[in-house]
Amino acid sequence: MGIRDIPVRQAPSPHKSTNPLGRVFDEFLRFCQSRSLFILHYCTGCGAIELPPAMTSRFDMERLGIQPMVSPRQADILLVTGYVSVKTLKRVILTYEQMPAPKYVIGICSCTVNGGMYWQSYATAKKLNDYLPVDLYIAGCMPRPEAVIAGMRDLRRNIERGTANAWRDYFLRYDHYLGNQQRLFGETWQTPVDVIAEAKHYNLLGKETQGEHTARLARHQKPLEALTLNLELREQPTLLK
Amino acid sequence: MHWTHLLLELILMPLMAFFIGMGMVLTLRKIGAKLQRRIGPPFFQPLYDILKLHAKETQSSHGLIHEIGIVMAIGGYVAAETLLPVPGMNGIAQQGGLITLAYMTMIPSLGLALGVGQCANPNGSIGISRALTAMLAYDVPFILVVFGTAYAAQSTNLVEIIAAQQSDGIASWGLVQNPLLALAGLLALQGMLGKQPFEIYVAPAEIATGPMVEMGGKFLGGLFIMQCFQLYTAGVLYTSLFLGGGENWLTFLVKIFAVVSIPMAIAYLFPRFRTEDLVRFFWKWPTFLALLGLAFVLH
Ligand code: SF4
Repeated sequence: MGIRDIPVRQAPSPHKSTNPLGRVFDEFLRFCQSRSLFILHYCTGCGAIELPPAMTSRFDMERLGIQPMVSPRQADILLVTGYVSVKTLKRVILTYEQMPAPKYVIGICSCTVNGGMYWQSYATAKKLNDYLPVDLYIAGCMPRPEAVIAGMRDLRRNIERGTANAWRDYFLRYDHYLGNQQRLFGETWQTPVDVIAEAKHYNLLGKETQGEHTARLARHQKPLEALTLNLELREQPTLLK
Repeated sequence: MHWTHLLLELILMPLMAFFIGMGMVLTLRKIGAKLQRRIGPPFFQPLYDILKLHAKETQSSHGLIHEIGIVMAIGGYVAAETLLPVPGMNGIAQQGGLITLAYMTMIPSLGLALGVGQCANPNGSIGISRALTAMLAYDVPFILVVFGTAYAAQSTNLVEIIAAQQSDGIASWGLVQNPLLALAGLLALQGMLGKQPFEIYVAPAEIATGPMVEMGGKFLGGLFIMQCFQLYTAGVLYTSLFLGGGENWLTFLVKIFAVVSIPMAIAYLFPRFRTEDLVRFFWKWPTFLALLGLAFVLH
């Protein structure tokens, strides 16, 4: 497999505006989007250790408008910083699906590109972009803060040009991603987010959104139930008895 | 006053408050960055953030109350801005007065509580219960301070309070006349703006920003706008009560920016208070100072 196979296919933007003023407005919004990026760092591996220096006084990501955020609802970028074990990957996917679009995934560290030094491990997911649409990889074991910031600048340029559309790919080719996820997690794998309904809602239903894997999901899907809050008040053990 | 004139003021005052508030957000972030020896965000960062959040394609709403909550949070402050006199514009400050203003500044927290409640996220519920407890704590000295200044000026009308302070230069400022009340007000301000050590209800690493945990897209954008208004309201209110309001726009802006910069400039000195310690602190020191100040005023 050559290096060309690694980046995900970029889906063309389905929105075509004909109004020239609309295009100016879109461009302005894309400019704002590229200048304000909230990151959710999912610190899975050793690569996370390079983020504090990238954020604090030496390299200062905030001057690029990049801020850390703590909940997926608020974030724009999902930073996966290092190897993802099978167990972790489930959480990463759950987190990713809860983020509001447009959303971007950045794989930091060689381990997210191809498994890195965990290539032979039975518990590590090798290529992140098999399971999630990755916008950008920052390779290195681990990449220095300069590299992280250079990667961020690349992403910023892509957003400004309107080419950072990997999140659309997740909707357009959901069957592909779901298939890979099922291969790893078993066929009963399901997440609380109804991706197909969302794809319909955003007009992103492609030819490959539904297929054999989504059919399998539909067969095994259990309806979500609200969690009940159980406060079992056990009797306190008292010393004075 | 002609009604078109009034209408213009009612529209202009919140609008200006928003832009000044964005400047304040930028100032605070810059101060924080400078204290940490960073460069800090670019000039238009608050604007980029707000526009980006509103331009999100996915807007996950948790229901009607969630949306109304955000509207209340912003609306309360928009109403408060029209009650705060600025140089050249009084809005409805003559008719409203301090008591209405104090009510209006409480609406946003309650709206937020409603909205967060519907999100049904346990982190959010913990956060908002802490935020309301904190409100209960800092509102006691705040109300005492408001009462004290109103009693000293023999009026609850902000326009008159400001006019009284401007009559005799700095010597007639609330800060000089009632320094104890001003100090208590400053402490309450720190809690009101949720700066350290009183920021346990946000606690990003523990309860994932508490009330904001389920807010994404335009909801978070709404809260960012609310923050602009909140800073502006706090700054202008303190300036009107203690620093003689604004004689002209230049002194006015200098004063309100200085006021909101104080909590941020000292924020990083403190570790965080737990909720019960926070209540204990506010009901002890600022309340004590405010009561003492009040005794001087009543004497
Ligand atoms: S690439 Fe190296 S530093 Fe990064 S997660 Fe893998 S082993 Fe750790």
